[in-house]
Amino acid sequence: MSGRVIVITSGKGGVGKTTTNANIGTALANAGNKVVMIDTDLGLRNLDLLLGLENRIVYTIVDVVEERCKLKQALVKDKKNPNLCLLAAAQTRDKTAVTEEQLKDICEKLKKDFDFILVDCPAGIEQGFQNAVAGASEAIVVTTPEMSAVRDADRIIGLLESKEEIKSYKLLLNRVRPNLIKSNDMMSVDDVVEILSAELIGIIPEDTGIITSTNKGEPVVNDEKSLAGKAYRNVAQRIMGNEVPFLNLEEETSVVKKVKKFFSNLIRKEK
Amino acid sequence: MAENIFTELYNRVLSLFGQSVQKEENTKDLACNRLRVVLMQDRTNLTPELLERMRKELVELLSKYVEMDKDALELNFEQEGEQMALMLSIPVVRAKNEEEIEAALKEADEKETDSSDEKSSDEKSDDDELQDSDESFEETSDETTDEDSEGEQSTEDEAEKSDEESASDEEVSQEDDEQSSKEQEVSTEEVKSSDKDSKKKNK
Repeated sequence: MSGRVIVITSGKGGVGKTTTNANIGTALANAGNKVVMIDTDLGLRNLDLLLGLENRIVYTIVDVVEERCKLKQALVKDKKNPNLCLLAAAQTRDKTAVTEEQLKDICEKLKKDFDFILVDCPAGIEQGFQNAVAGASEAIVVTTPEMSAVRDADRIIGLLESKEEIKSYKLLLNRVRPNLIKSNDMMSVDDVVEILSAELIGIIPEDTGIITSTNKGEPVVNDEKSLAGKAYRNVAQRIMGNEVPFLNLEEETSVVKKVKKFFSNLIRKEK
Repeated sequence: MAENIFTELYNRVLSLFGQSVQKEENTKDLACNRLRVVLMQDRTNLTPELLERMRKELVELLSKYVEMDKDALELNFEQEGEQMALMLSIPVVRAKNEEEIEAALKEADEKETDSSDEKSSDEKSDDDELQDSDESFEETSDETTDEDSEGEQSTEDEAEKSDEESASDEEVSQEDDEQSSKEQEVSTEEVKSSDKDSKKKNK
């Protein structure tokens, strides 16, 4: 087996890299793939929290590179899905504790046993980013329809293009708010895609379910009803090479929205 | 009056839901435009002044051959795979006929020979500045250095030269209908890149 190493990166912090990682990883594993996630955000680890695995971590990636344990011992199995593993970051060390070469080496070893290796990249473009990208051959650039996030994504794309190992990169647009787009107060998906001229792999709507799912330590893809969950499942399908149409986020369903719509139409007529 | 009452009522109802309809008009376009400008600078190292200068020079050059809507000229850098492309889009108001083009060329030639003596020293210093700030940007610097050397050559040569220049540098696609007053979109694409390197440097 030779797995695909995909780095999930963004430049800017807080756009949803780790959430994306947890959800895509879970969705890929649920679809029957063997998946391992590597948290490279040394000192600021969070992927374990999102997966609800924080109490099960014994060894971290730093223990692996400093040879206090074997690579396999450091892999934490997911609660629900035995196909899903996590290699956690060390919380007490900084980004210099692991080098690019060491990460490359870990990825090479994991490739033999897993279909997908998802690398969760820290924010920024410094050493942490360089480390995370080192072992990967594909990248997913997470951004939101906000100026600062798009600008940082552009910079990340520039850096990825200068790396020979990265064969392809795709754009994932997170925290999209259809209502704001409709009222012309947020850049649309097309705007962002045009500005960054990158291929799109997913559009994830803003969803309060993300917060509650983090509280529970269970990725939102496991929630059948959640729209964001569905969008993440579609991303996983696209990664696997299946063609799935993008979700139509324009549907307005809730009663409050319908009332609002009624009033806005009324106002428009009055004007 | 009636509509004011309605609007107010509507706003009050909405504010119950924590929202207000009285927002600035279309902040999305504002964001897009600001982003485009800032990314262009991020990607190329061209300052707004240099961009404005490039724009001016392009307008000057192209308006010898076609009549266009100068204010609607759009200049964008786009990433196309490995290369960076300079996308130039100008709505053409009307295609010029041969006499007009010749007249424009002549006028430009005369202008240049007239002022070449006084100007040359100024221009040179400007060019140096330009090349210093962005060496990779061959487009602009080429153009200006050409102008410089042209000034010293005979006028006939110049006309030929600028003809060739335009033919090779720009592909202006245009419909046959020369005199149509309808606006046609002409897009010229100019790719000059050793730019991958420059991009690496930038990042």
